[in-house]
Amino acid sequence: MERTVIRIAGESGMGLLSSGHIISRALKDLGFYIASEREFPSLIKGGSSNVQIDFSTKDIRSRSNKIDIVVALDRAGLLYHIDMIKRGGILIHGYERHHLIPALKEKAKKKGIKVLYLPARQIARSLGGSSVMVNMVLLGLLWRVLGFDINNLKKEVKHQFASKPKLLKIDLKCVDAGYKGKDIKKIPQLEIKRNKKAPKKILIDGTTSIALGAIQAGMRAYYAYPMSPSSGILTYIAATSHETGVLVKQAEDEITAAQMMIGSMLVGCRAMIATSGGGYDLMTESVSLCGMNETPAVFIIGQRPGPATGLPTWTSQGDYNLAIHSAHGEFPRAVIGCSDPHSSYELIQHAFNIAEEYQIPVIVLSEKTVYDTHLTVDHFKHKKIPIKRGLVTGPKELEKLQSSDRYKITPSGISKRWLPGSSPAYYYANGDEHWESGELNEEANEAKIMIEKRMRKEKTLLKNLPAPKIYGTKKGAKISFIGWGSSKNTMLDVIRAYKTKGVEVNYLHFDYLWPLKADAAKRFFENNKNVHLIEGNYQGQFGQQIEVKTKKEFKGKLLKYDGRPFFFDEVMSYALKH
Amino acid sequence: MPKSKNEISKVLKTLSRRKNIYVEYEGEEVITWCHGCGNYNIQNALKRALTLEGFKYRDVLHAYDIGCNGNGSDKIGGYTVHGLHGRSISLGAGAALGNSGLKIIASGGDGGTMSEGINHLVHAVRSDYPMLFILHNNHNYGLTTGQASATTPKGFAMNGSPDGVVVKPMNPSEFVLGLNPTFVARSFSGDIKHMTKILRAALKHKGFAFVEMLQVCPTYNKATPQEWYRDRIKYIENLKKYDPVDPDAAKKIVQDFEKEIYLGIFYQKKNQAPFQKRLPNREGIKTSPHEEVKNFNISKFLKAFE
Ligand SMILES: Cc1ncc(C[n+]2csc(CCOP(=O)(O)OP(=O)(O)O)c2C)c(N)n1
Ligand code: SF4
Ligand SMILES: [Mg+2]
Repeated sequence: MERTVIRIAGESGMGLLSSGHIISRALKDLGFYIASEREFPSLIKGGSSNVQIDFSTKDIRSRSNKIDIVVALDRAGLLYHIDMIKRGGILIHGYERHHLIPALKEKAKKKGIKVLYLPARQIARSLGGSSVMVNMVLLGLLWRVLGFDINNLKKEVKHQFASKPKLLKIDLKCVDAGYKGKDIKKIPQLEIKRNKKAPKKILIDGTTSIALGAIQAGMRAYYAYPMSPSSGILTYIAATSHETGVLVKQAEDEITAAQMMIGSMLVGCRAMIATSGGGYDLMTESVSLCGMNETPAVFIIGQRPGPATGLPTWTSQGDYNLAIHSAHGEFPRAVIGCSDPHSSYELIQHAFNIAEEYQIPVIVLSEKTVYDTHLTVDHFKHKKIPIKRGLVTGPKELEKLQSSDRYKITPSGISKRWLPGSSPAYYYANGDEHWESGELNEEANEAKIMIEKRMRKEKTLLKNLPAPKIYGTKKGAKISFIGWGSSKNTMLDVIRAYKTKGVEVNYLHFDYLWPLKADAAKRFFENNKNVHLIEGNYQGQFGQQIEVKTKKEFKGKLLKYDGRPFFFDEVMSYALKH
Repeated sequence: MPKSKNEISKVLKTLSRRKNIYVEYEGEEVITWCHGCGNYNIQNALKRALTLEGFKYRDVLHAYDIGCNGNGSDKIGGYTVHGLHGRSISLGAGAALGNSGLKIIASGGDGGTMSEGINHLVHAVRSDYPMLFILHNNHNYGLTTGQASATTPKGFAMNGSPDGVVVKPMNPSEFVLGLNPTFVARSFSGDIKHMTKILRAALKHKGFAFVEMLQVCPTYNKATPQEWYRDRIKYIENLKKYDPVDPDAAKKIVQDFEKEIYLGIFYQKKNQAPFQKRLPNREGIKTSPHEEVKNFNISKFLKAFE
C-alpha cells in the first residue's frame, strides 16, 4: 500500500484538531510522511467536520479521496462517512445506538467495510473522563488497527496535553482502553511498511509557514481584519508577538488595514495584511494608490470559493483574475502563488523584496488548502533569502539626492527610493499624476512619459523573475500539465505514481503568476505534445492567460470549483483517460 | 482674539529667529486654491506652529486627503503623501506606528472625514494613535464643485440638492467629543494667530489630536462666509471658569453652531499612554519598528513542529 488514508470525523468541539495533531505527530515519529488537512463547514448543521491524514513511507503532498479508515466521533460523522469509505475499509466508532441505523449495516456489508464499535463514551466515563474523551478511546483502537506500538501514541498524547496533567492521566487510560478493544471479536490489523529511520523533517502548515516567512523577512507590523481562511495568520503572528516584538493591530475594516500597511511601508516599516477575496475587494483602491505613488505593499489573498460569501471554509484558485486585474488604472504589479509550506515561507520573503525593490504592490495568493494542509518538509532556513529593500541609505548619497530623483524617468522604470525624513531632498508621494518630485502635473506629454516609466518596471521585473519549474521529465511526457498553487502538490504525487508504472508525466509550475513568463510555457508546449491545464476554478483563468500569451492551446483542462482541492486519485484517472 | 501684546511679540520674535526653519516649509509649486480660500491661512498657521514647536521639515510627514485641502499636498515644503479620499487618517496612523520618530500630520475635508471615512475617525480617536489630524470643515464638497456634505446646514441649496439639504448637519467636534477622545479643539481659518496657538498645543499632544478648522470657502459656501463667523465666534479662553478637563462641560459648549460658536481647546486628557505604548509585547523596546527590519531568526519557533 503506497499510502494509508485516515479520516477522523465529528463535530467541531469534539477534539478533532487535537486528535489530528496527535495522530499526525505520532506517525511522523514513526518515520512517515504526512499530508493532512481539516475540512469543516461554516455552518454545522447535519454536516460534519473532519481531519484527514494521508501517510506514506514516501514523500506525499496531496490527499486521496479513497479513505481506508474512518474514526467517527459522532453520529453525523458515522452517517456521512459510511458512503465515503473505500471498499474493504475500516470504520471505527462509538455510537451506542448504531443498531437503530439499518442502512449502516447494509452499506457496510455491501462494500465489505469492517465496522468496529466500542462503547467509547461509557469507557471514558468509567475512567473518570468526560464524553469529549471519546476521541482518546477511539484513537487507541485506531492505533491498534494500524498495528503500531501504543507507546508511540501515548508519547504524543502526553505532548498534546502536557499543560493539563490531571486530565492527561485519564486521557492515557482512555487510549489504553481503546487499544485493548475489549469485547471486539476480531480486531483487524493492517500491515504497514515503515521507513527504517525517521527523516529529519518538520510537520507544518501553510498558514504558519507564511507567517514565519514574513517574520523572517523583517515584517514589523501586521494589520488585519479577520476573514477565513486568512485569520490563522493573525492568530499566529499575535501569538508569537511577545517573542518577535511585531506590532499587531486589528483594524476597523479591510480598507483601514490596507491603508495602515501602506502608511507603514511608506515610512520604511515592513508591514503586511492578509485577507480573502471579499476583504481584498475592499482594498483595491489602495492597491491602485500604490501603483501610482510607487509605495511598496504586500497583500495576501487566502482564496476560498466566491462570489460573495461563497464557501467560506473551503478552497479555491478562483481569484487569479482578481489578483491580476484588480484596481483601477494601469500600473505594474507582481502576483505570486504559494503552493505548500516551503513556498509560502520563501515566496512571502521574495514578495517583500520585490515590493520594495520595484516599488509596486505585490499580491500573494494562497488557498485554504495551502494554509491548512500540514506537510512533512525540510527545516526552514534562516537568512537563505537576503533582505533587499531598494532603498538609498548611505548618508553621503542621501545628502546628494535631488527631490526629482524620487520619480526620475529611468530606462528600467525604477527610480531611487528613500524614507521620508532621511534626506534633505523631500518628495511628494502623490496619488495624483505627477512629475519627478511628485508634484502635480497634468500635461499630456508628461503624463504619457510617467505612465510609461511606471509600466517599464513590469518589463524589468519580468526579465528578472526566476523561470517556472518543470517537475518530471523535461520533454516528451506522455501527458503534461501546467498549473499554479496547490495543484503542484497533487501533481508531484501523480508524477511519482506514474513513474513507478513506467509512465512519464510532467508538470510546469508557476510560482510567479504576474508578470507571466510565457516563453517558458511556450517551450513546454513545444517539447511536450499532450499539455493540459490543471486549475482550481471554473474558467481556467490562468490557463486563459497562458493560451493568449503563448498562442498555444491546451489539449484539455482539468478544472475544479467545488471547494475541494485536487485529490490524488482524481488526477491519476484524468491522466489515464487523456 | 484675546492675547496680550507681549505674547504676540514673543511669538513673532521666535518666528523671526527661526526663519530658516520657516522658509523651508515654503513649497515651490503654484498654489491653486481660489482667491480668499481658508486653506491658505490654515497651511500658513501650520507652518508657523511647526516652526514654533521646533519641528523641521524633515521631522514631519503630512498625509493629505483628496479634496481642496489635499491639493495643498505639493504646496508645502516637506515630505507628503497624497492618498485616497477619506483615508488620510488610516494612512497617517500606519505611518505613525511604523516610524515613531516622524511627526504625522493628517488632514482631510468634511466630505472625506465625516462621510467617506468616518469609520477611520471613530477608531483613530478610540485607538488614540500618536498623530495630529486637521479637519478642514468648509461645509461642502469643494473640489467636486459644491455639493452638500454632512456638515452643510439644513435648508441650504447646494449643487445636487437644489431644494436645500433636508437632513440635519453633523457637528464634528461634538461628534468626536462623544468618542472619549484625548484632544479636541476648534479654530477658524480667519484667525491665523488662534489657529497657530491651537496647532501648537495639538502638536505637543502625545495621542490623537483632533483639530477642527472652520474654513471659509468663498466659491461654494455662500451660507457661512467670513462675516457670518465673525458675528458668532466666541473664544473659550475668555471664559474664566472653563477647564478643558471636563468632558461634560466640553459637550455643552461645543453644541451651539447657530448663535455662539466657540473656538479653543474643548477637551484634553494629558498623560494618557498613546497607542504604541499600550502594547504589552513592545514594552521596553526602544527602537521604532522601521529600524527593526532585518532577518528575524525563526529557528526557535520551528521546534514546535519537529
Ligand atoms: C473614492 C472617491 N470618491 C469620490 C471622489 C471624488 N471627490 C474628490 S474630492 C471629494 C469631496 C471633497 O470634499 P471634502 O472632503 O469636504 O474636501 P474639500 O474639497 O471640501 O476640501 C470627492 C467626493 C474621490 N476622489 N474618490
Ligand atoms: S472651492 Fe472653496 S475650498 Fe476649494 S479652493 Fe475654492 S474656496 Fe477653497
Ligand atoms: Mg469640504
